[in-house]
Amino acid sequence: MNTWHYDSACDVDQPLVDRLRRFPREPDVLVYGARALIALIIRGWLRIYHRFEIIGHENLRTNRSLVIVANHSSHLDTLCLLAALPLRKLHRAFPAAAADYFFRSVPRTFVAAVVTNALPFARRVRVRRSLSMCSDLLSDPENILIIFPEGTRSKTGETREFKSGIGALVAGRDVTVVPCYLQGAFRAWPKGRHLPCPKKVRLIVGAPRNYSSRNANKIDICAIAAELHRAVKELGQRSGSD
Amino acid sequence: MISPQTALHDPVFRAYLVIVPVSLALGGTILGFLDWGLKKKLRSIWKTYRSWLVMASIGLLVVFAGRVPVIVGVTFLSIFGFKEFARSSGLYCDWWTTGAVYAGIVAVGFASLVPRPRGEEPGAGWYGFFMAMPLFAIALILLIPILRNRARGELQKMSLSIIGFIYIGWMFGHLGFLANAANAYGFLCYVIFATELNDVCAFTFGRLFGRHPLRSEISPNKTWEGALGAFAVSMVLPWLLRFSFPFFGATQLILTGLIVGIGGPLGDLSISLIKRDIGTKDMGAAIPGHGGILDRIDSLIYVAPLFMHMAGYYYRLR
Repeated sequence: MNTWHYDSACDVDQPLVDRLRRFPREPDVLVYGARALIALIIRGWLRIYHRFEIIGHENLRTNRSLVIVANHSSHLDTLCLLAALPLRKLHRAFPAAAADYFFRSVPRTFVAAVVTNALPFARRVRVRRSLSMCSDLLSDPENILIIFPEGTRSKTGETREFKSGIGALVAGRDVTVVPCYLQGAFRAWPKGRHLPCPKKVRLIVGAPRNYSSRNANKIDICAIAAELHRAVKELGQRSGSD
Repeated sequence: MISPQTALHDPVFRAYLVIVPVSLALGGTILGFLDWGLKKKLRSIWKTYRSWLVMASIGLLVVFAGRVPVIVGVTFLSIFGFKEFARSSGLYCDWWTTGAVYAGIVAVGFASLVPRPRGEEPGAGWYGFFMAMPLFAIALILLIPILRNRARGELQKMSLSIIGFIYIGWMFGHLGFLANAANAYGFLCYVIFATELNDVCAFTFGRLFGRHPLRSEISPNKTWEGALGAFAVSMVLPWLLRFSFPFFGATQLILTGLIVGIGGPLGDLSISLIKRDIGTKDMGAAIPGHGGILDRIDSLIYVAPLFMHMAGYYYRLR
Protein backbone atom coordinates (compact mmCIF):
# COMPACT_ATOMS: atom_id res chain seq x y z
CA MET A 1 0.00 0.00 0.00
CA ASN A 2 1.39 3.37 -0.98
CA THR A 3 1.57 6.00 1.72
CA TRP A 4 -0.42 9.18 1.27
CA HIS A 5 1.16 12.29 -0.03
CA TYR A 6 0.35 15.52 1.82
CA ASP A 7 0.51 18.85 0.02
CA SER A 8 1.03 21.20 2.97
CA ALA A 9 0.52 24.90 2.45
CA CYS A 10 3.89 26.52 1.76
CA ASP A 11 3.36 29.15 4.48
CA VAL A 12 2.40 26.88 7.39
CA ASP A 13 5.11 28.30 9.64
CA GLN A 14 4.16 31.95 9.10
CA PRO A 15 1.81 34.07 11.23
CA LEU A 16 -1.43 35.28 9.68
CA VAL A 17 -0.30 38.81 8.79
CA ASP A 18 2.76 37.52 6.94
CA ARG A 19 0.58 35.05 5.08
CA LEU A 20 -1.71 37.87 3.96
CA ARG A 21 1.28 39.93 2.81
CA ARG A 22 2.74 37.29 0.54
CA PHE A 23 1.59 36.66 -3.00
CA PRO A 24 0.17 34.48 -4.41
CA ARG A 25 -1.77 33.70 -1.24
CA GLU A 26 -2.82 30.17 -0.35
CA PRO A 27 -6.56 29.48 -0.68
CA ASP A 28 -8.54 29.89 2.55
CA VAL A 29 -12.26 29.09 2.78
CA LEU A 30 -12.72 31.37 5.80
CA VAL A 31 -11.22 34.34 3.95
CA TYR A 32 -13.35 33.56 0.88
CA GLY A 33 -16.47 33.45 3.00
CA ALA A 34 -15.66 36.72 4.75
CA ARG A 35 -14.84 38.35 1.42
CA ALA A 36 -18.08 37.25 -0.22
CA LEU A 37 -20.10 38.49 2.74
CA ILE A 38 -18.34 41.87 2.82
CA ALA A 39 -18.70 42.17 -0.97
CA LEU A 40 -22.48 41.77 -0.65
CA ILE A 41 -22.60 44.51 1.98
CA ILE A 42 -20.40 46.82 -0.12
CA ARG A 43 -22.57 46.24 -3.19
CA GLY A 44 -25.69 47.18 -1.30
CA TRP A 45 -24.02 50.22 0.21
CA LEU A 46 -22.72 51.45 -3.19
CA ARG A 47 -26.17 50.96 -4.71
CA ILE A 48 -27.97 52.89 -1.97
CA TYR A 49 -25.47 55.45 -0.67
CA HIS A 50 -23.73 56.29 -3.96
CA ARG A 51 -26.55 55.35 -6.38
CA PHE A 52 -23.89 53.29 -8.18
CA GLU A 53 -24.58 52.75 -11.87
CA ILE A 54 -22.71 50.74 -14.51
CA ILE A 55 -22.76 51.63 -18.20
CA GLY A 56 -21.49 49.08 -20.73
CA HIS A 57 -21.66 46.16 -18.30
CA GLU A 58 -21.73 43.64 -21.18
CA ASN A 59 -18.09 44.48 -21.97
CA LEU A 60 -17.03 42.70 -18.77
CA ARG A 61 -18.83 39.45 -19.58
CA THR A 62 -16.06 37.12 -20.64
CA ASN A 63 -14.59 33.92 -19.23
CA ARG A 64 -11.06 34.64 -20.39
CA SER A 65 -8.40 36.40 -18.35
CA LEU A 66 -8.91 40.11 -18.23
CA VAL A 67 -7.00 43.27 -17.44
CA ILE A 68 -9.20 46.12 -16.25
CA VAL A 69 -7.59 49.55 -16.62
CA ALA A 70 -9.16 52.59 -14.98
CA ASN A 71 -8.55 56.11 -13.77
CA HIS A 72 -7.78 56.43 -10.07
CA SER A 73 -8.94 59.24 -7.84
CA SER A 74 -10.50 57.55 -4.82
CA HIS A 75 -10.56 54.42 -2.67
CA LEU A 76 -14.04 53.84 -4.06
CA ASP A 77 -12.54 52.98 -7.46
CA THR A 78 -11.42 49.49 -6.48
CA LEU A 79 -14.66 48.76 -4.64
CA CYS A 80 -16.74 49.88 -7.65
CA LEU A 81 -14.76 47.78 -10.11
CA LEU A 82 -15.04 44.73 -7.86
CA ALA A 83 -18.77 45.36 -7.50
CA ALA A 84 -19.10 45.25 -11.28
CA LEU A 85 -17.85 41.64 -11.40
CA PRO A 86 -20.04 38.62 -10.69
CA LEU A 87 -19.66 37.24 -7.15
CA ARG A 88 -18.24 33.90 -8.30
CA LYS A 89 -15.28 35.73 -9.88
CA LEU A 90 -14.54 37.72 -6.73
CA HIS A 91 -11.69 35.44 -5.64
CA ARG A 92 -10.12 35.48 -9.08
CA ALA A 93 -10.01 39.29 -9.29
CA PHE A 94 -6.81 40.93 -8.09
CA PRO A 95 -6.52 44.73 -7.84
CA ALA A 96 -2.88 45.79 -7.90
CA ALA A 97 -2.42 47.82 -4.70
CA ALA A 98 0.58 49.87 -3.56
CA ALA A 99 2.67 47.61 -1.31
CA ASP A 100 4.10 50.65 0.49
CA TYR A 101 0.63 51.94 1.39
CA PHE A 102 -1.71 48.97 1.76
CA PHE A 103 0.66 46.28 3.00
CA ARG A 104 2.47 48.32 5.66
CA SER A 105 0.20 48.44 8.69
CA VAL A 106 -1.70 45.41 9.96
CA PRO A 107 -5.28 46.79 9.60
CA ARG A 108 -4.64 47.97 6.05
CA THR A 109 -3.12 44.61 5.16
CA PHE A 110 -6.26 42.90 6.42
CA VAL A 111 -8.56 45.18 4.43
CA ALA A 112 -6.47 44.93 1.27
CA ALA A 113 -5.94 41.17 1.37
CA VAL A 114 -9.28 40.00 2.76
CA VAL A 115 -11.77 42.52 1.37
CA THR A 116 -10.24 43.31 -2.02
CA ASN A 117 -7.89 40.34 -2.60
CA ALA A 118 -5.18 42.85 -3.52
CA LEU A 119 -1.89 42.05 -5.20
CA PRO A 120 0.94 43.87 -3.38
CA PHE A 121 2.59 46.00 -6.06
CA ALA A 122 5.95 47.56 -5.20
CA ARG A 123 5.87 50.84 -7.09
CA ARG A 124 9.26 52.30 -6.10
CA VAL A 125 11.71 49.39 -5.92
CA ARG A 126 11.67 46.18 -7.94
CA VAL A 127 8.80 47.26 -10.16
CA ARG A 128 9.86 44.64 -12.68
CA ARG A 129 9.29 41.88 -10.14
CA SER A 130 5.79 43.15 -9.40
CA LEU A 131 5.06 43.28 -13.12
CA SER A 132 6.20 39.69 -13.55
CA MET A 133 3.89 38.74 -10.65
CA CYS A 134 1.00 40.33 -12.58
CA SER A 135 2.12 38.57 -15.71
CA ASP A 136 2.17 35.16 -13.96
CA LEU A 137 -1.33 35.85 -12.74
CA LEU A 138 -2.58 36.43 -16.27
CA SER A 139 -1.16 33.15 -17.53
CA ASP A 140 -3.99 31.43 -15.66
CA PRO A 141 -7.22 31.88 -17.66
CA GLU A 142 -10.18 33.37 -15.79
CA ASN A 143 -7.99 35.57 -13.60
CA ILE A 144 -8.86 39.25 -13.56
CA LEU A 145 -6.27 41.93 -12.91
CA ILE A 146 -7.36 45.44 -11.96
CA ILE A 147 -4.75 48.11 -12.60
CA PHE A 148 -4.68 51.85 -12.10
CA PRO A 149 -1.81 52.83 -14.41
CA GLU A 150 -1.62 56.38 -13.03
CA GLY A 151 0.25 54.80 -10.13
CA THR A 152 -1.56 56.72 -7.40
CA ARG A 153 -4.82 58.51 -6.63
CA SER A 154 -5.17 61.78 -8.52
CA LYS A 155 -5.33 64.84 -6.24
CA THR A 156 -7.47 66.88 -8.63
CA GLY A 157 -9.77 64.28 -10.15
CA GLU A 158 -8.00 64.76 -13.51
CA THR A 159 -6.75 61.55 -15.17
CA ARG A 160 -2.95 61.76 -15.24
CA GLU A 161 -0.48 60.13 -17.64
CA PHE A 162 -0.37 56.33 -17.56
CA LYS A 163 2.87 54.59 -16.56
CA SER A 164 4.41 52.47 -19.30
CA GLY A 165 4.32 49.30 -17.16
CA ILE A 166 0.76 48.61 -18.30
CA GLY A 167 2.05 48.52 -21.88
CA ALA A 168 4.79 46.06 -20.96
CA LEU A 169 2.23 43.83 -19.32
CA VAL A 170 -0.19 43.52 -22.23
CA ALA A 171 2.04 43.95 -25.32
CA GLY A 172 2.30 40.76 -27.35
CA ARG A 173 0.06 38.85 -24.97
CA ASP A 174 -3.31 37.38 -25.85
CA VAL A 175 -5.28 38.98 -23.05
CA THR A 176 -8.36 41.18 -23.12
CA VAL A 177 -7.86 44.73 -21.89
CA VAL A 178 -10.93 46.67 -20.82
CA PRO A 179 -10.59 50.43 -20.27
CA CYS A 180 -12.97 51.84 -17.66
CA TYR A 181 -13.80 55.30 -16.41
CA LEU A 182 -15.04 56.04 -12.91
CA GLN A 183 -17.13 59.16 -12.69
CA GLY A 184 -17.99 60.90 -9.45
CA ALA A 185 -15.74 58.82 -7.24
CA PHE A 186 -13.43 61.78 -6.76
CA ARG A 187 -16.23 64.01 -5.49
CA ALA A 188 -17.63 61.23 -3.30
CA TRP A 189 -14.35 60.33 -1.58
CA PRO A 190 -11.28 62.37 -2.60
CA LYS A 191 -7.77 61.70 -1.34
CA GLY A 192 -7.36 63.02 2.20
CA ARG A 193 -11.02 62.71 3.27
CA HIS A 194 -11.75 60.23 6.02
CA LEU A 195 -15.22 59.11 5.02
CA PRO A 196 -17.13 59.14 1.73
CA CYS A 197 -20.07 61.46 1.22
CA PRO A 198 -23.29 60.42 -0.54
CA LYS A 199 -22.58 61.48 -4.12
CA LYS A 200 -23.44 59.56 -7.25
CA VAL A 201 -20.78 57.26 -8.70
CA ARG A 202 -20.90 55.89 -12.23
CA LEU A 203 -18.71 53.27 -13.89
CA ILE A 204 -18.38 53.40 -17.67
CA VAL A 205 -16.94 50.23 -19.21
CA GLY A 206 -15.31 50.65 -22.62
CA ALA A 207 -14.96 48.21 -25.50
CA PRO A 208 -12.43 45.40 -24.92
CA ARG A 209 -9.08 45.57 -26.71
CA ASN A 210 -6.28 43.18 -27.50
CA TYR A 211 -2.59 43.99 -27.98
CA SER A 212 -1.32 40.53 -28.93
CA SER A 213 -0.01 41.78 -32.28
CA ARG A 214 2.21 44.44 -30.72
CA ASN A 215 5.88 43.99 -29.87
CA ALA A 216 7.26 44.40 -26.39
CA ASN A 217 9.74 47.12 -27.39
CA LYS A 218 9.93 50.48 -25.70
CA ILE A 219 8.14 52.49 -28.41
CA ASP A 220 5.17 50.14 -28.59
CA ILE A 221 4.91 49.90 -24.82
CA CYS A 222 4.69 53.66 -24.45
CA ALA A 223 2.26 53.84 -27.37
CA ILE A 224 -0.04 51.27 -25.72
CA ALA A 225 0.02 53.18 -22.44
CA ALA A 226 -0.85 56.39 -24.30
CA GLU A 227 -3.62 54.66 -26.27
CA LEU A 228 -5.19 53.28 -23.11
CA HIS A 229 -4.92 56.68 -21.45
CA ARG A 230 -6.75 58.24 -24.39
CA ALA A 231 -9.39 55.51 -24.34
CA VAL A 232 -10.10 56.03 -20.63
CA LYS A 233 -10.25 59.82 -21.02
CA GLU A 234 -12.61 59.53 -23.99
CA LEU A 235 -14.96 57.35 -21.98
CA GLY A 236 -15.09 60.11 -19.39
CA GLN A 237 -15.65 62.90 -21.92
CA ARG A 238 -18.29 61.01 -23.90
CA SER A 239 -20.56 60.68 -20.93
CA GLY A 240 -20.34 64.30 -19.87
CA SER A 241 -17.74 66.04 -17.79
CA ASP A 242 -17.14 64.99 -14.21
CA MET B 1 -25.46 28.99 34.80
CA ILE B 2 -22.20 30.93 34.67
CA SER B 3 -22.30 34.62 33.84
CA PRO B 4 -20.34 37.81 34.67
CA GLN B 5 -22.80 38.54 37.50
CA THR B 6 -22.15 35.25 39.27
CA ALA B 7 -18.43 35.00 38.46
CA LEU B 8 -17.12 37.32 41.16
CA HIS B 9 -19.42 35.87 43.82
CA ASP B 10 -18.34 32.33 43.05
CA PRO B 11 -15.63 31.11 45.47
CA VAL B 12 -14.20 28.63 42.93
CA PHE B 13 -13.71 31.22 40.19
CA ARG B 14 -12.30 33.69 42.72
CA ALA B 15 -9.82 31.06 43.86
CA TYR B 16 -8.63 30.44 40.29
CA LEU B 17 -8.38 34.19 39.81
CA VAL B 18 -5.63 33.96 42.45
CA ILE B 19 -4.15 30.52 41.63
CA VAL B 20 -3.49 31.19 37.94
CA PRO B 21 -1.59 34.50 38.37
CA VAL B 22 0.31 33.08 41.37
CA SER B 23 1.46 30.02 39.42
CA LEU B 24 2.45 32.21 36.48
CA ALA B 25 4.39 34.52 38.80
CA LEU B 26 6.03 31.50 40.41
CA GLY B 27 7.03 30.16 37.00
CA GLY B 28 8.35 33.58 36.01
CA THR B 29 10.40 33.83 39.21
CA ILE B 30 11.98 30.42 38.62
CA LEU B 31 12.75 31.33 35.01
CA GLY B 32 14.20 34.66 36.12
CA PHE B 33 16.37 32.90 38.69
CA LEU B 34 17.65 30.47 36.05
CA ASP B 35 18.27 33.28 33.55
CA TRP B 36 20.02 35.89 35.73
CA GLY B 37 21.18 33.78 38.64
CA LEU B 38 22.59 30.83 36.75
CA LYS B 39 23.17 32.59 33.40
CA LYS B 40 21.42 29.92 31.37
CA LYS B 41 20.38 30.66 27.81
CA LEU B 42 16.60 30.96 27.91
CA ARG B 43 15.70 33.32 25.05
CA SER B 44 13.03 31.16 23.47
CA ILE B 45 11.48 30.27 26.81
CA TRP B 46 10.78 33.93 27.62
CA LYS B 47 8.79 34.19 24.39
CA THR B 48 6.85 31.08 25.41
CA TYR B 49 6.28 32.54 28.87
CA ARG B 50 4.97 35.83 27.49
CA SER B 51 2.47 33.90 25.39
CA TRP B 52 1.38 32.00 28.52
CA LEU B 53 0.64 35.33 30.22
CA VAL B 54 -1.49 36.46 27.29
CA MET B 55 -3.33 33.14 26.98
CA ALA B 56 -4.04 32.89 30.72
CA SER B 57 -5.51 36.42 30.78
CA ILE B 58 -7.69 35.73 27.75
CA GLY B 59 -8.79 32.40 29.22
CA LEU B 60 -9.78 33.88 32.58
CA LEU B 61 -11.55 36.76 30.86
CA VAL B 62 -13.58 34.40 28.66
CA VAL B 63 -14.58 32.17 31.60
CA PHE B 64 -15.51 35.32 33.55
CA ALA B 65 -17.65 36.51 30.61
CA GLY B 66 -19.93 33.50 30.98
CA ARG B 67 -21.40 30.47 29.23
CA VAL B 68 -21.96 31.88 25.74
CA PRO B 69 -18.45 33.40 25.40
CA VAL B 70 -16.89 30.11 26.56
CA ILE B 71 -18.80 28.06 23.97
CA VAL B 72 -18.17 30.61 21.23
CA GLY B 73 -14.49 30.78 22.20
CA VAL B 74 -14.11 26.99 22.13
CA THR B 75 -15.84 26.93 18.73
CA PHE B 76 -13.42 29.54 17.39
CA LEU B 77 -10.44 27.59 18.74
CA SER B 78 -11.80 24.47 17.01
CA ILE B 79 -12.28 26.34 13.74
CA PHE B 80 -8.79 27.82 13.71
CA GLY B 81 -7.29 24.58 15.02
CA PHE B 82 -8.92 22.65 12.21
CA LYS B 83 -7.76 25.30 9.76
CA GLU B 84 -4.17 24.62 10.83
CA PHE B 85 -4.75 20.90 10.40
CA ALA B 86 -6.25 21.45 6.95
CA ARG B 87 -3.39 23.70 5.87
CA SER B 88 -0.73 21.20 6.97
CA SER B 89 -2.45 18.14 5.54
CA GLY B 90 -3.24 19.70 2.17
CA LEU B 91 -6.98 19.46 2.74
CA TYR B 92 -7.28 23.26 2.59
CA CYS B 93 -7.31 23.27 -1.21
CA ASP B 94 -10.71 21.56 -1.23
CA TRP B 95 -13.24 24.27 -0.38
CA TRP B 96 -16.16 21.88 -0.14
CA THR B 97 -14.77 19.39 2.35
CA THR B 98 -13.20 22.03 4.58
CA GLY B 99 -16.44 24.00 4.38
CA ALA B 100 -18.37 20.90 5.51
CA VAL B 101 -16.08 20.44 8.52
CA TYR B 102 -16.43 24.11 9.46
CA ALA B 103 -20.20 23.69 9.27
CA GLY B 104 -19.92 20.62 11.53
CA ILE B 105 -17.83 22.54 14.07
CA VAL B 106 -20.36 25.37 14.12
CA ALA B 107 -23.10 22.75 14.66
CA VAL B 108 -21.17 21.37 17.65
CA GLY B 109 -21.09 24.89 19.11
CA PHE B 110 -24.79 25.28 18.36
CA ALA B 111 -25.62 22.00 20.13
CA SER B 112 -23.78 23.18 23.25
CA LEU B 113 -25.47 26.57 23.13
CA VAL B 114 -29.18 25.88 22.63
CA PRO B 115 -31.51 25.02 25.54
CA ARG B 116 -32.52 21.39 26.00
CA PRO B 117 -35.43 20.35 23.81
CA ARG B 118 -38.84 19.67 25.33
CA GLY B 119 -39.27 16.19 26.77
CA GLU B 120 -35.96 16.26 28.55
CA GLU B 121 -35.40 18.00 31.85
CA PRO B 122 -34.87 21.77 31.49
CA GLY B 123 -31.33 23.13 31.24
CA ALA B 124 -28.77 24.37 28.73
CA GLY B 125 -27.13 22.36 25.97
CA TRP B 126 -28.73 19.79 23.68
CA TYR B 127 -26.85 16.72 24.93
CA GLY B 128 -28.41 14.17 22.59
CA PHE B 129 -27.65 16.17 19.45
CA PHE B 130 -24.18 16.99 20.72
CA MET B 131 -23.41 13.29 21.16
CA ALA B 132 -24.86 12.46 17.73
CA MET B 133 -22.77 15.14 15.98
CA PRO B 134 -20.19 12.73 14.46
CA LEU B 135 -23.05 10.90 12.76
CA PHE B 136 -24.36 14.01 11.04
CA ALA B 137 -20.94 15.47 10.27
CA ILE B 138 -19.62 12.25 8.75
CA ALA B 139 -22.82 11.87 6.73
CA LEU B 140 -22.32 15.40 5.39
CA ILE B 141 -18.66 14.75 4.57
CA LEU B 142 -19.50 11.52 2.73
CA LEU B 143 -22.22 13.30 0.81
CA ILE B 144 -19.88 15.85 -0.74
CA PRO B 145 -18.03 13.66 -3.28
CA ILE B 146 -21.37 12.09 -4.22
CA LEU B 147 -22.98 15.46 -4.89
CA ARG B 148 -19.92 16.68 -6.79
CA ASN B 149 -19.59 13.41 -8.72
CA ARG B 150 -15.89 13.00 -7.89
CA ALA B 151 -14.01 9.85 -6.90
CA ARG B 152 -10.30 10.35 -7.52
CA GLY B 153 -8.43 11.07 -4.27
CA GLU B 154 -11.69 11.57 -2.38
CA LEU B 155 -11.04 8.82 0.17
CA GLN B 156 -7.98 10.66 1.45
CA LYS B 157 -9.91 13.92 1.74
CA MET B 158 -12.84 12.24 3.48
CA SER B 159 -10.58 10.45 5.94
CA LEU B 160 -8.61 13.58 6.74
CA SER B 161 -11.73 15.66 7.24
CA ILE B 162 -13.38 13.01 9.44
CA ILE B 163 -10.28 12.77 11.64
CA GLY B 164 -10.08 16.56 11.74
CA PHE B 165 -13.72 16.90 12.71
CA ILE B 166 -13.71 14.17 15.38
CA TYR B 167 -10.46 15.23 17.03
CA ILE B 168 -10.54 18.97 16.77
CA GLY B 169 -14.19 19.81 16.30
CA TRP B 170 -16.03 17.31 18.44
CA MET B 171 -13.68 15.88 21.09
CA PHE B 172 -12.18 19.27 21.84
CA GLY B 173 -15.71 20.73 21.60
CA HIS B 174 -16.63 18.89 24.81
CA LEU B 175 -14.78 21.64 26.63
CA GLY B 176 -17.48 24.06 25.49
CA PHE B 177 -20.24 21.69 26.62
CA LEU B 178 -18.71 21.63 30.12
CA ALA B 179 -19.77 25.29 30.42
CA ASN B 180 -23.37 24.02 30.76
CA ALA B 181 -22.59 22.11 33.96
CA ALA B 182 -23.92 23.39 37.30
CA ASN B 183 -20.34 23.37 38.57
CA ALA B 184 -19.00 24.90 35.34
CA TYR B 185 -16.39 27.13 37.03
CA GLY B 186 -14.79 24.24 38.88
CA PHE B 187 -14.86 21.86 35.90
CA LEU B 188 -13.65 24.33 33.27
CA CYS B 189 -10.96 25.97 35.39
CA TYR B 190 -9.69 22.66 36.76
CA VAL B 191 -9.61 20.83 33.42
CA ILE B 192 -7.79 23.63 31.62
CA PHE B 193 -5.43 24.47 34.47
CA ALA B 194 -4.53 20.84 35.28
CA THR B 195 -4.00 19.87 31.63
CA GLU B 196 -1.78 22.83 30.85
CA LEU B 197 0.12 22.30 34.11
CA ASN B 198 0.61 18.67 33.08
CA ASP B 199 2.10 19.89 29.77
CA VAL B 200 4.47 22.29 31.49
CA CYS B 201 5.52 19.63 34.04
CA ALA B 202 6.17 17.07 31.30
CA PHE B 203 8.37 19.63 29.54
CA THR B 204 10.20 20.64 32.71
CA PHE B 205 10.80 17.11 34.04
CA GLY B 206 11.82 16.03 30.56
CA ARG B 207 14.37 18.84 30.36
CA LEU B 208 15.73 18.09 33.83
CA PHE B 209 15.83 14.29 33.96
CA GLY B 210 14.86 13.13 30.44
CA ARG B 211 16.78 10.06 29.28
CA HIS B 212 14.43 7.54 27.70
CA PRO B 213 12.29 8.61 24.74
CA LEU B 214 8.58 8.04 25.33
CA ARG B 215 7.64 7.32 21.70
CA SER B 216 10.79 7.74 19.63
CA GLU B 217 9.03 7.39 16.28
CA ILE B 218 6.35 9.96 17.09
CA SER B 219 7.85 12.73 19.16
CA PRO B 220 11.61 12.73 19.80
CA ASN B 221 11.43 15.37 22.53
CA LYS B 222 9.06 13.61 24.93
CA THR B 223 10.57 11.33 27.54
CA TRP B 224 9.33 8.74 30.01
CA GLU B 225 10.82 10.77 32.83
CA GLY B 226 8.86 13.86 31.80
CA ALA B 227 5.60 11.94 31.33
CA LEU B 228 5.90 10.11 34.68
CA GLY B 229 6.82 13.30 36.55
CA ALA B 230 3.82 15.07 35.05
CA PHE B 231 1.65 12.05 35.87
CA ALA B 232 2.67 12.21 39.52
CA VAL B 233 1.77 15.93 39.65
CA SER B 234 -1.57 15.26 37.97
CA MET B 235 -2.43 12.53 40.50
CA VAL B 236 -1.77 14.87 43.44
CA LEU B 237 -3.42 17.94 41.98
CA PRO B 238 -7.11 16.88 42.39
CA TRP B 239 -6.52 16.66 46.16
CA LEU B 240 -4.80 20.04 46.27
CA LEU B 241 -7.57 21.71 44.27
CA ARG B 242 -10.39 19.73 45.82
CA PHE B 243 -12.45 22.88 46.32
CA SER B 244 -13.08 22.88 42.52
CA PHE B 245 -15.44 19.91 42.97
CA PRO B 246 -16.23 19.56 46.69
CA PHE B 247 -18.73 16.75 46.00
CA PHE B 248 -16.08 14.42 44.45
CA GLY B 249 -15.16 11.33 46.47
CA ALA B 250 -11.81 9.52 46.43
CA THR B 251 -12.73 7.41 43.36
CA GLN B 252 -13.64 10.46 41.33
CA LEU B 253 -10.49 12.30 42.40
CA ILE B 254 -8.32 9.35 41.36
CA LEU B 255 -10.18 9.10 38.05
CA THR B 256 -9.68 12.84 37.47
CA GLY B 257 -5.95 12.43 38.09
CA LEU B 258 -5.77 9.46 35.71
CA ILE B 259 -7.73 11.26 32.99
CA VAL B 260 -5.50 14.34 33.08
CA GLY B 261 -2.26 12.42 33.64
CA ILE B 262 -2.84 9.91 30.82
CA GLY B 263 -5.26 11.78 28.55
CA GLY B 264 -3.06 14.87 28.37
CA PRO B 265 0.03 13.18 26.90
CA LEU B 266 -2.20 11.01 24.68
CA GLY B 267 -3.77 14.08 23.09
CA ASP B 268 -0.34 15.61 22.70
CA LEU B 269 1.03 12.46 21.06
CA SER B 270 -1.96 12.07 18.74
CA ILE B 271 -1.32 15.50 17.23
CA SER B 272 2.45 14.84 17.19
CA LEU B 273 1.73 11.68 15.24
CA ILE B 274 -0.22 13.64 12.64
CA LYS B 275 2.56 16.23 12.42
CA ARG B 276 5.19 13.54 12.13
CA ASP B 277 3.47 11.79 9.24
CA ILE B 278 2.84 15.07 7.42
CA GLY B 279 6.40 16.16 8.08
CA THR B 280 5.88 19.58 9.68
CA LYS B 281 7.38 20.77 12.91
CA ASP B 282 4.55 22.99 14.10
CA MET B 283 0.95 23.16 12.95
CA GLY B 284 1.12 26.93 12.57
CA ALA B 285 2.61 30.11 13.96
CA ALA B 286 -0.37 31.69 15.70
CA ILE B 287 1.12 31.69 19.22
CA PRO B 288 4.72 32.96 19.49
CA GLY B 289 6.91 30.40 21.25
CA HIS B 290 4.29 27.65 21.14
CA GLY B 291 3.62 27.04 17.46
CA GLY B 292 0.07 26.80 16.25
CA ILE B 293 -3.22 26.84 18.16
CA LEU B 294 -3.40 23.08 17.70
CA ASP B 295 -0.02 22.63 19.38
CA ARG B 296 -1.48 24.26 22.48
CA ILE B 297 -4.95 22.73 22.68
CA ASP B 298 -3.87 19.20 21.71
CA SER B 299 -3.68 17.88 25.30
CA LEU B 300 -7.31 18.82 25.92
CA ILE B 301 -8.54 16.62 23.06
CA TYR B 302 -8.80 13.52 25.25
CA VAL B 303 -9.11 15.16 28.65
CA ALA B 304 -12.24 17.22 27.91
CA PRO B 305 -14.55 14.37 26.76
CA LEU B 306 -13.23 11.82 29.27
CA PHE B 307 -13.64 14.21 32.17
CA MET B 308 -17.09 15.27 31.06
CA HIS B 309 -18.34 11.69 30.84
CA MET B 310 -16.73 10.70 34.12
CA ALA B 311 -18.41 13.62 35.90
CA GLY B 312 -21.66 12.94 34.05
CA TYR B 313 -21.62 9.28 35.12
CA TYR B 314 -21.37 9.98 38.84
CA TYR B 315 -23.26 13.26 39.07
CA ARG B 316 -25.81 15.08 37.03
CA LEU B 317 -23.96 17.62 34.92
CA ARG B 318 -26.60 20.26 35.61
